[in-house]
Amino acid sequence: MTINEETLNLRLDLSKPLYEQILHQIRYAMARKDLELGAKLPSVRELAQQLRVNPNTVMRAYQELNRDELIETRRGQGTFITTKPQKIQHIRDNLATEAINSFIDTMQELGMSRQTALSLLEEGKW
Amino acid sequence: MEMEYAVELKNVTKSYKKKTSLDLKAEFDYKKEKIHGRLPMSKDFKKKPALDHLTVAFPTGQVTGLLGPNGAGKSTLLKMLVGLVHQDEGTISVFGQSPSWRNNGEIAYLPDRGRWYALQTVAEALAYAEVIFPAFDLDLARKMADSMDLDPAAQVSTLSKGLEARLNLILCLARRVRLILLDEPFSGIDLVSRDKITQNIIDSMLDLPKTIIICTHEIHEAESIFEHVVFLDKGQMVLAGNAEQLRAEKGSIESVYRELFQ
Repeated sequence: MTINEETLNLRLDLSKPLYEQILHQIRYAMARKDLELGAKLPSVRELAQQLRVNPNTVMRAYQELNRDELIETRRGQGTFITTKPQKIQHIRDNLATEAINSFIDTMQELGMSRQTALSLLEEGKW
Repeated sequence: MEMEYAVELKNVTKSYKKKTSLDLKAEFDYKKEKIHGRLPMSKDFKKKPALDHLTVAFPTGQVTGLLGPNGAGKSTLLKMLVGLVHQDEGTISVFGQSPSWRNNGEIAYLPDRGRWYALQTVAEALAYAEVIFPAFDLDLARKMADSMDLDPAAQVSTLSKGLEARLNLILCLARRVRLILLDEPFSGIDLVSRDKITQNIIDSMLDLPKTIIICTHEIHEAESIFEHVVFLDKGQMVLAGNAEQLRAEKGSIESVYRELFQ
């Protein structure tokens, strides 16, 4: 299975660092399980062409994903999503924790108690 | 990590002797006033320098956007790197050497408003380029021409502005060199041609590690391929830095430009 650029559907905003956006969007797509385990990612060239960004920017994002073992590059074959579901679970947990922590920070900044924040969370629309 | 610089300018100043029509008009208006006795003292009409004690460096292996309003000194800077213009003061180093024709084999330069021999066909232009340009890769050039929808049989004089710009770019990018200088590669060119040009710049970066400097007013078009940015104004550097860092701190390169020059 090959993931094409349309499935990835990355949207870049020129007012923020491009590398971070590529990294963020691929990580989230993985956490949502939009990208199948073991599927082939577009090459650096293909993605750089499609997003019209510097290939080094794409390469940096791929290197970071490689370091977290979320993707692996096989010589001469291309770049693939990990085949290990626990890696995806791990990144998903991490991203969720990150989001919760930032939520707590904001609530504290607003002077909310844990109790009020929780009840607001209950009332919130999902 | 220590950054390496392919191109370095230190304290470079350049004044053109020739006055522009604007300079001449200012001088004329002044003299007229003086004859009528309305202005007492004489005034120095020395030309403002194109580059004014400019110190700036361009990182090796990166794409740098060289940005600034008209008259900022961008074209003068590029011309100096290939030895077409000489500085009055200061030092310039390109891969550790001062610019001269001896180094130009390593540099591909796309001049602003550059033209090619009108009577050649596209195929002849490419074949001729192989003879006159060092390290010109004819196969690569033909592939680029094909991907850019350039008809090999078309005569240069019949090409539209956009197609001629594509040809001029190919003549640059098909050279296997360490430094590429592009002066306004997008100006006055249709959207499709711009896209094709950007695609070819991206491809050529993957092909060989090289340093690229792009002067352009079409910042929105080009900023996503910049890794480093240098802003010039009136021959001086007003800001320089990593493109991603600037985005994190200040927003898009286009908005930084607006903030600086509006």
